[in-house]
Amino acid sequence: MSRQAPWWISLLLRLYPREYRQRAGPELEASMTACVERERRTGRRVGAIATLLTMDALHASLLVRRDARRRRRLTGFAGDSVMQSILYDVRDGLRLLRRAPLFSLLVVGTLALAIGANTAIFSVVNGVLLRSLPYRDPDRLVLIYEGMTSFPRPFGFSAPDFVAFRERAQSFETIAAFRSVEYELSGVDMPERIQAARVSASLFDVLGIAPAIGHFFSRDDDEGRRPVAVIGDGLWRRKFGADPALVGRSIILDRRAYTVVGIAPKGLTFPNRGPVMNNVPADVYVPISFTAVELASFGSMYNNSVIARLRPGVSFAQAAMEAPALAKRLLAEVYPTRLMELTATTYPLRDQIVGSVSRILYVLMAAVAVVLLIAAADIAGLMLTRAASRERELAVRSALGAGRLRLMRMMLIESTLLASVGAAGGLALAWWGSRALLRASPIDLPRAQEVSFDLRVLVFTLGITAVAAIVCGLLPAWESSRRDAGPALKEGGARTGSAGVRQRRIFGTLVTAQFACSIVLLAAGGLLIRSFVRLLETDPGFRTENVIAFATSLPAPTYARGSDLRSFYERLLERVRQLPAVTAVGASTDLPLSIRERRAFTIEMPPAASANLPRTIAHDWVLGQYFSALDIHTIAGRPLGPEDTASSERVIVLNETIAKRFWPGENPVGRRIAWGGDRNHGPWMRIVGIVADVKHAGLAAPTEPQTWSPWAQVPDGLLGENIVGLFRNLKVIVRAAVPPTSLVPAIRQEVRALDPALPVTDVRTLDQVVSASTGPQRFNAALLGGFAGAAALLAAVGVGGVLAISVSRRTQEIGIRLALGARNGDVLLMVLRQGLTLALLGIVIGLPCAFVITRLLGTLLFGVSAHDAIAFGGATLLLLVVALVACAAPSVRASRVDPMTALRID
Amino acid sequence: MMRATRKRTDVPSLSPHWFQILLALADQDRHGLGIMSDVLERTAGRMKLWPGMLYRNLSRLVDEGLVVEVDAPEGAETGGGRPRFYRITALGRRAASAEAERLAGFVEAARRKKLLKA
Repeated sequence: MSRQAPWWISLLLRLYPREYRQRAGPELEASMTACVERERRTGRRVGAIATLLTMDALHASLLVRRDARRRRRLTGFAGDSVMQSILYDVRDGLRLLRRAPLFSLLVVGTLALAIGANTAIFSVVNGVLLRSLPYRDPDRLVLIYEGMTSFPRPFGFSAPDFVAFRERAQSFETIAAFRSVEYELSGVDMPERIQAARVSASLFDVLGIAPAIGHFFSRDDDEGRRPVAVIGDGLWRRKFGADPALVGRSIILDRRAYTVVGIAPKGLTFPNRGPVMNNVPADVYVPISFTAVELASFGSMYNNSVIARLRPGVSFAQAAMEAPALAKRLLAEVYPTRLMELTATTYPLRDQIVGSVSRILYVLMAAVAVVLLIAAADIAGLMLTRAASRERELAVRSALGAGRLRLMRMMLIESTLLASVGAAGGLALAWWGSRALLRASPIDLPRAQEVSFDLRVLVFTLGITAVAAIVCGLLPAWESSRRDAGPALKEGGARTGSAGVRQRRIFGTLVTAQFACSIVLLAAGGLLIRSFVRLLETDPGFRTENVIAFATSLPAPTYARGSDLRSFYERLLERVRQLPAVTAVGASTDLPLSIRERRAFTIEMPPAASANLPRTIAHDWVLGQYFSALDIHTIAGRPLGPEDTASSERVIVLNETIAKRFWPGENPVGRRIAWGGDRNHGPWMRIVGIVADVKHAGLAAPTEPQTWSPWAQVPDGLLGENIVGLFRNLKVIVRAAVPPTSLVPAIRQEVRALDPALPVTDVRTLDQVVSASTGPQRFNAALLGGFAGAAALLAAVGVGGVLAISVSRRTQEIGIRLALGARNGDVLLMVLRQGLTLALLGIVIGLPCAFVITRLLGTLLFGVSAHDAIAFGGATLLLLVVALVACAAPSVRASRVDPMTALRID
Repeated sequence: MMRATRKRTDVPSLSPHWFQILLALADQDRHGLGIMSDVLERTAGRMKLWPGMLYRNLSRLVDEGLVVEVDAPEGAETGGGRPRFYRITALGRRAASAEAERLAGFVEAARRKKLLKA
């Protein structure tokens, strides 16, 4: 049957794409040959046959090419790898995004903000909480404090206690004491106050770190009290140009030369922020070199922090057991006089560093994650609507052979594209955001300098991007893939009833979930805002208007004796008082809201009520017109004044709390108290006055017993002593009749006149001091409140969008209702009811959750209960108003539908 | 070549060419040339399937899952080269009979209107 095919047939075959030719070529050729044969038998000429076959081949090859193109785009080609077909989808997705720029911008922008906020918060959580501390085996490091069960918080070790403890402790491999101090660094351009730490030589072994250059100091350096120093990397670069030759040279600290023996490794931060004391990262480390006075100070100067590394094989629990037992032994074995009680407590270093901030960080992390989910739900709704408008396209794809999985993949690739572009924007935002977050953070966040974008942050971003993509894309994908191709293909195909109902249910669920999440965030945000307001309402006990404070610290070599200090501060106060517009000038060892000193005291002829009360108080030494500068109200007796001099009777002023607590119903003015225990107390001090309570440990802290005594009555020997520096670092408080910042140049001038080299530091108005004390609450309230606001807004967008879609779909139905006599108001109410029902349902579901969840806020709250009715009521009301506003526009539009136009649709 | 796993509940109306091809395959598997001659004989030369469009239609029918390619049966008469045989699927059979019913309906209507003798 077959004969030699005419030559032109192979030319015709060339019209087809190669792969088609390879597959069907021989048969096609055979058929064409057979065709030629057949037609010739009917008497056709070869020319005519060739023309007909050419037209057929042209037509068919064009269609074949088009089929192949279409198949490739819509369904993937059998010969394509999975990667290739994904690439087609990606290209398609990009094309779609370009075609709807507003939609894309909206989605990408929302996702960028949400992902950015998540990444920013996570980078902080990661740097602060998740990453291990940059020391060797950081989990084996502990901080140890001494304490008394009668005193609410632990304190540090005194020098003799530390030495005795170190000799006896069995649980620890190495143990070191350290203390934050400030020095004046001079000799390199401008003199500057720098943070330093006095540390045991063993500290570097405890931490398990090696110097970058040179060596650390030795125990001989420490105990021999040699002036040596290890410079931190930061200071080395900032002040000394990273010069390696600095090792071996001297630097001047507090006008004394210290030989630099080594440079600390880059990235070393010690001490850390977070623990209750000695928590300022140092630029310079010098030996702690306890003085003879310190080593003999049993029962006082508990100001050294102690860090230790657990001995291998010793568990934390064992060490925690040993410490209090050792403290008891110290009392029995080394204390020359009997102290009532002493205990020691061990804490994991990590808990001490990050314990205070972990709660708010986790709360913020959860809040921002919820915001992302709410945003993703909005986007899912948007994509679902868009998928509905692409029904025909999807149906064509499906009819052409795109399987269900493939359609789902296509939708997911679209949402992944959106999420990826969003994530790229989000990363940039987060980079900026995490920095802004740290800058805005009112407290010195522990480990802030360790916050960076590492692999874990990137993986996290990738993860939440995937979650966002799935949340945004899966639902629309699932929905559109289960759709029936048939009806949609028909022109003007009506939406089938069942799909409409199902979609409405999905939309409803999304919106309800959004509102449930929003009410939780709003309630939590409301509680924090209420806490902040409560804090602002708190009376600090002093008036802040027109008051400014500054600090000076007198270096020991220049001001060696107590009389030097006295003469300096008396002259300084006198000079400042002479300035125009100044109404009162005082000074104190600490400013209100941040009083560090805690003392034990004893009462002469103690009243019965005081028998079992803890005998510890916050104490401040004051100078000049301290009480009038702060306008602290006198309740009984008199405040301290110029009549209280070094030679007059020793006096003290109490706050209201201690007076009421220890002398209930009695006026203690005229009675006497003294520092120390019952048996070994200091000289008696007469109580001359009672003043109103002043917040001494921050606005949020409860008021405890507090006393004030004249700085002038501190003995010369103690004033000159340079161990603690408490008495040579006074805060001067200036009240003026004018805005006090205008006085700053004049004040600096006066200080310079007395000592040209002396820096004036910490210049702050009292308003700033109080406001700094509300900082953490403001920060918490602002962030959580902000996230809650964003959640409410996104939920509003959600319900508004769903209603708008529903209204536009029901245009016809609404038109019919109106045509049949429904009033516009009825329609408005009907739509409004639809939206508000969803919102209300969400709120009803969310409120009990919020009730449970807000309990986690715990210590972040101040002055409000976790179930504060105002916060919950306010959140509910606010969310309802937001929902109402969001529903208003679509409802009004629905009521304005023109029945004539509506019925003409389609 | 394609996934033919879709459920297809409604069958689109078939073009005359597709219907004829399915008809040719209704009683036995055939290769392309076989389909061509079957259609030609059955329609007494009124419908001529040209090779290009035939094979293109066959491949679309395969895409749509109405027809599958099968190996040539033992001793089958071949039209040259390596022949591929086509077999109608259940879906194809349904589509073809639906189309036949549709056509029969037209014929019935024509009969009622006395366009055809009974």
